[in-house]
Amino acid sequence: MTGKEWGIVVVLLIIGLIIGYFAAAPSRTATITTTKTAVSTVTVTKTAGVPPPVTTTTQTTVAKKYADTITIGVTDKVSDLDPANAYDFYTWEVFNNIGEGPFKYKPGTTELTNGIIEDYKVENGGKVYILKLRKNLKFADGTPCTAKDLKWAIDRVARIKGDPAWFVLDFVNKTEVVDDYTLKITLKHPVAFYPAVLAVPTYFPIPPNKYPADKISSDNTAGSIGPYKITKWVRDQVLILETNPYYYGEKPKTHRIIIKFYKDATTMRLALESGEIDVAWRTLNPTDISDLKKNPNLQVVEGKGSFIRYIVFNTKIKPFDNKKVRQALAAALDRNAIAQRVFLGTVDPLYSLVPMGMWSHEDVFKEKYGEANLELAKKLLKEAGYSENNKLKVELWYTPSHYGDTEADVAALIKEAWEKTGMVEVTVKSAEWSTYLELTRKGQLPVTLYGWYPDYIDPDDYLYPFLHTSSNRWLGEPYSNPQLDKLLEEAQVALDHNKRAQLYKQVQQILADDSPIVPIFQGKLYVVANKNVHGIVLDPIMLLRYFLLYKEVGG
Amino acid sequence: MSLRAYVITRIFLTIPMILILLTLVFLVMRVLPGNPVIAMVGMKASPKYIKQLEHQLGLDKPLWLQYVDYLVDLMRGDFGRSMIWGKRIVIQEIMDHFPATLELTIGGFLVSVLLGLLTGMIAGIRSGGKLDASMRIYSIVVYSLFIPLLGMMLQLVFGVWLRALPVGGRIDPGLEPPTVTGLYIVDSILAMRLDSLLSALAHLALPSFTLGLVLSGIYTRLVRSSLMEVLGQDFIRACRARGLSGRIILFRHALKNALIPILTMMGLQFALLLAGAVLTETTFSWPGMGTFLVERITYRDFTTIQGSIVFYALFVALISLVVDIVYAYVDPRIRY
Repeated sequence: MTGKEWGIVVVLLIIGLIIGYFAAAPSRTATITTTKTAVSTVTVTKTAGVPPPVTTTTQTTVAKKYADTITIGVTDKVSDLDPANAYDFYTWEVFNNIGEGPFKYKPGTTELTNGIIEDYKVENGGKVYILKLRKNLKFADGTPCTAKDLKWAIDRVARIKGDPAWFVLDFVNKTEVVDDYTLKITLKHPVAFYPAVLAVPTYFPIPPNKYPADKISSDNTAGSIGPYKITKWVRDQVLILETNPYYYGEKPKTHRIIIKFYKDATTMRLALESGEIDVAWRTLNPTDISDLKKNPNLQVVEGKGSFIRYIVFNTKIKPFDNKKVRQALAAALDRNAIAQRVFLGTVDPLYSLVPMGMWSHEDVFKEKYGEANLELAKKLLKEAGYSENNKLKVELWYTPSHYGDTEADVAALIKEAWEKTGMVEVTVKSAEWSTYLELTRKGQLPVTLYGWYPDYIDPDDYLYPFLHTSSNRWLGEPYSNPQLDKLLEEAQVALDHNKRAQLYKQVQQILADDSPIVPIFQGKLYVVANKNVHGIVLDPIMLLRYFLLYKEVGG
Repeated sequence: MSLRAYVITRIFLTIPMILILLTLVFLVMRVLPGNPVIAMVGMKASPKYIKQLEHQLGLDKPLWLQYVDYLVDLMRGDFGRSMIWGKRIVIQEIMDHFPATLELTIGGFLVSVLLGLLTGMIAGIRSGGKLDASMRIYSIVVYSLFIPLLGMMLQLVFGVWLRALPVGGRIDPGLEPPTVTGLYIVDSILAMRLDSLLSALAHLALPSFTLGLVLSGIYTRLVRSSLMEVLGQDFIRACRARGLSGRIILFRHALKNALIPILTMMGLQFALLLAGAVLTETTFSWPGMGTFLVERITYRDFTTIQGSIVFYALFVALISLVVDIVYAYVDPRIRY
């Protein structure tokens, strides 16, 4: 063949490929959206435990068709598919869809309900928990799950000593199998919120024949005992879940859930608009959320989060050892400006460390200082010896990427609010996450910005780690108050709910008065999805339950 | 020197290069405040647990001992385990991400060379004319394009409006071919899976075009000036005098000579692309080495960073060696 003929062949090949691609386009999308046509018929009846679909047809037993697959986009990542070492929010979300512990939360509430247990008893003044397991429990591979397996999973966590091991090591003295379906857990001391601890994935049973007994197994897809099982897992790219035929509870309406991992929120938004994904979950940019609200084909679902942000004053560094200085800065803070200008209303101003919506929460900072109260701030600064000519100098630190791109703006608005008093001069400084943490831990940073995702849903998790003397070393031990220590310890063991609430209210009053830590805002949760996706439930637990999602495809 | 002796010398020269690089990275990472344990669990773990983890990872040993330990392991071919998230084997981590970057790099590289050659040749042949001016403007405009912005524009047009190409990822979920090389295009061909191949090509189209377009500007200018220089030489005039057609002069004589300096550039550019595709990877959610390494640097994952750097250094050394060997074929005058 001559050069010319070769050229013609190559051109023809390229044209053929292009035509081939576009001709195959429907089948290309079919892998994601075959589901839009391939449907399963499920009869919707009202069942306990899982909230019914939004339609009112639930009681009339009407046949509905649901899409086979729903694709969800996230910018998070799955770190470790071993419950003995998984300790981040997103991986926990996956575990909550492929597994279940002794307790779980009722979707839409912060109320605990029985998970893999039928019943439980608390004995010996809160020191002993007797868990009665359901009798028909099976792992995703069909092997039965008994009390022995649950004990094995809990003991394994303690043995491996991974990142979340403290959920077991700090509380559990020993575990004993009473019979096939009964497990006895003896605690080191009574812990009022232990049922909430028993709901974290660290306590999920896993199949002993699939996980090594004393080694972390990070890429293990054997799963646990939940509504879904993992069928495909390509790290940082895709996770495919399919219904677990052995799950004891109600079968999810959507057979397959595909999770696509994005590195950039804007790409995820474009993927939603282009139809590549049905649901855009954590975490879209505030600007994208407000844009997408205008798209008639999409729905924006909003829910309360339990993620909080706050300012930490190191009370060992001058002048922040002076209570009046801290109070003045707490009074001058303009939370609304941050919520509106930086986050476009996608967060709520917060006036306590205990988040809104959680029992015992009180707006203590608002009651004591109001909002952006410059008069009070000036008065307090004067009392502390500062004036327009002798300004209080504040070095404010933040970390530029760990909490998102918005962090520099948050710091700038805090500076603006404080400097409005005319008596404060703020220098803003930043350090990358690991440096930031280390300098804080060494107690070298005077004023820092931090955030908190809860481990378990209880006021204790929002107060004890911050205010108790032995527990705030991670913040460089910025503050210590024996009175608070006593109250927090008492609240941890008290079994009477009302008494605990009373104690936490007292703690919050002292917190506002001393102001070693000043809350800024509480995050809200957003899911943006196609209009035909239903069953999106957002609550302070902050986990999206894939097993509640469904997509109607005609009647 | 024979080619064989040259290759052996080059391989030996790679060793001190990697050692110097490794020592620098080792020291810089450890001099900076922060360590992987604190970055990972620093907020919530007890000081006792942090101490215990630091001990487990050998971070409590004196610096020189850590260095020696690492070098000894490396010589045995052991890159160690990651210090964060599941402590996975470093080589496994690299193999999870490197093929993606390589695929994108090859795609971007091919686009940039093709576009650059085409525009550069047009400019070189028509030097001084309107086409030349347009190509020179093209080269400046594309080179100054900001990758995320260009990427987003393409995503909007081809992904959202036309719905012809996917906006992110490497392949449609479920179509991943069985892993042989990790390069989805190659693996799809090996597995004879047309659906996987088309999906992988569709996913590669926008990112490689974005990357390639931006970098093609350099080639435009290089090819143009190199071609103009060659076209002005005596042997071209002699060819013309002999009555050879313009096409034969250009393709058989001028271009072959003009490509020699460009080959050097290609080698360098390819190495740069491997490390520099971070923005493209982020924009298109491409699961490659760039974003992976940036994340690991933030978390001070010492072993993974060191391992990746050694791996990169070896790869780049290999490429420059290949380029040097290719030289000899392009220009028979070159001897080693």
